[in-house]
Amino acid sequence: MPLDTSTTYPLTKLRLDGRRWNELRLLQAQISTNPASSGSSYLAMGNTAIICSVHGPAEGRRGDASGGSAGSSGAVVEVDVNVAGFAGVDRKRRAGGSDKQSSRIGTILRSAFQSHLHTYLYPHSTISIHVSVLSADGSLLAAAVNACTLALVDAGIPMPGLLCACTAGMSGSASTPRDPNNDFLDPLLDLSLPEEQELPFLTVGTTTTVPVGEAAMIHDDEDEMKVSMLTMDSKVHCSYVETMLAVGIDGCKQIREILEGVIKKSARR
Amino acid sequence: MSTQRQATSASQTPHISPAELSYLYTSLSLPQNPIRPDGRSATQFRPLTAETDLLPGTNGSARVGFADGTQAIVGVKAEVERTVVGAAASYTLAEAEGAGDLDGEGGEGSGSAAGAGAATAGHGSWVQMSIEIPGFRDDDALPVFLAEMMREPLVESVSSGGKGGNGREEGEMEGGLKGRLVINRRWHWRLYIDVLLLSQPLSYPLPLLSLTTHLALLATKLPKLKSKGEEDPFFDDDWNAAEYLYPRASSFPKFGGGTATGDVPPPVQHVRPPVTLLVIAVGDNVIFDPNREEIAVADTVLAISVTRDGGAEGGLKLLSIRTIDPPSRLTQPGVPNSENVATLGATAGAAGSEEQSAAVLNPVTGEEEVPGVWRPRRGGVKRRTVAKMVKLVLEKGGVGEEVLEGLESVEVG
Repeated sequence: MPLDTSTTYPLTKLRLDGRRWNELRLLQAQISTNPASSGSSYLAMGNTAIICSVHGPAEGRRGDASGGSAGSSGAVVEVDVNVAGFAGVDRKRRAGGSDKQSSRIGTILRSAFQSHLHTYLYPHSTISIHVSVLSADGSLLAAAVNACTLALVDAGIPMPGLLCACTAGMSGSASTPRDPNNDFLDPLLDLSLPEEQELPFLTVGTTTTVPVGEAAMIHDDEDEMKVSMLTMDSKVHCSYVETMLAVGIDGCKQIREILEGVIKKSARR
Repeated sequence: MSTQRQATSASQTPHISPAELSYLYTSLSLPQNPIRPDGRSATQFRPLTAETDLLPGTNGSARVGFADGTQAIVGVKAEVERTVVGAAASYTLAEAEGAGDLDGEGGEGSGSAAGAGAATAGHGSWVQMSIEIPGFRDDDALPVFLAEMMREPLVESVSSGGKGGNGREEGEMEGGLKGRLVINRRWHWRLYIDVLLLSQPLSYPLPLLSLTTHLALLATKLPKLKSKGEEDPFFDDDWNAAEYLYPRASSFPKFGGGTATGDVPPPVQHVRPPVTLLVIAVGDNVIFDPNREEIAVADTVLAISVTRDGGAEGGLKLLSIRTIDPPSRLTQPGVPNSENVATLGATAGAAGSEEQSAAVLNPVTGEEEVPGVWRPRRGGVKRRTVAKMVKLVLEKGGVGEEVLEGLESVEVG
């Protein structure tokens, strides 16, 4: 019997690493890890470990292709993602410096944070984010978003709320329409690398707007959650997307609580 | 950015005015006791933090943080690879033709048997090193140059433990690192050393990267070989049984014949990877662990690689010296009053008698200079300066020993 989640999960209701469908992996994080940068963070989700450092907001580089006109209305976010050669199980050989996966993560991070941060406060400047993946075990993009959020908080760059991301998938290939009478597929939260390779999954990032001014007076029990980022590379029947999204958003909520705890703990120190 | 990439040496030249450069140069070149901007003595190093074995997915890893906030992480991964005898032979010959003395002294020595030699003595290309510096591609000049500068002493360092003829001690590596990577005639280990600099380099990053690589290699373990002789290799899957790449003497029982001269307590490890130190000369002074501003006024920048010379006597061995293009070459010159069009009339009016604008011969560079006016260095180094630098590194109780002792005190494994 092949040992993978799609065959073992229906039998045991446990995933390969022993988690239930709605459990996150152990998430550990630190901020201010690197004194040489404006803000930095270390984040580990299971065996995925990421170090992120932020420089800026600083004067943009002169002689840039975009010239001085770029960012005249707000700061420009630059993201540089580097997956270390020793991150995977086998050492990966890369030619020329960047591969498809890391440049893709970089592009998504840049567009996510460019629209998320209050960049209008820093015209004519650049916020550069450097992400190093020390060990890759699934949910790379989600972990990178969370690490960037922490580093940006450490750098003191204003944003409307924490941007937290999480992956969600289905426990089978989910390529046929959902049958309400015979529904044997469960959604899964926070996929690891072997699960990512065999199952359909999406990455969702949510943010809350921290209530300011009068809105803060009205005590609202349920947080206003906004999905600000959503990517999906795999194929899944559309009837499953809603379930996956709901689980993913729930995971983001859990991650937000953990990240808030990390930030508060470091502030107390 | 483009100019910064062009200057392979100079990381970034800080923006310091000619007047400041001249001031810095004068205080650093004071005879006998240089005054450094951060108040250190000439041979004093900045404090650093280090930890090892932080990445479970690698064979060995280390992190070092310097006091200025720059950090580096090194991960070492090993793979088993089939030794291609014919290809290795032709490669060795080609390299021997091109690079002369670099190859050949490996272990067997004889050039004609290079093919067979590569299979038993190992080959330098089995160690691969790549360096990631933020803002640079990994085929840019600086990372490639740094990687080669660190790989070369690592691969070429062969312990001379057998020189006394009193037999090799336990825990010694025959044929150096290359020899250690040989499994049998058909198989060998390939070592990938990936160096990650976590922030933009504030000063020339070579010492940081070298120290981190040193610690990572010390912490590197290879799985224990279970097959024997020329069989296809298979390994013990118990990671606790894995053996260190650089063998530990403490894990080997010692036999009486090996230990020489008794007064020095033998180090825990006889064979250690090399350490590359950055040394600068300013005037007649030799300064260690320079920061960015100090490099900017250096007459000479040298990268000196040393390692412990095998055996219990604990002497140091010089592995390589490389000159590094000093960034002071690229600094802006100051203009002496006598040549300044704006002040020419004024100094002439003041009769120039009390204005000390006479050029003085700088004994180190051999050029005429006006005191207090900065002139970019043109490079070149006197033989006695190199000798002085090497002596300071190698002498007993000198800087090299101090650094290695400091690194030995880092808990590894």
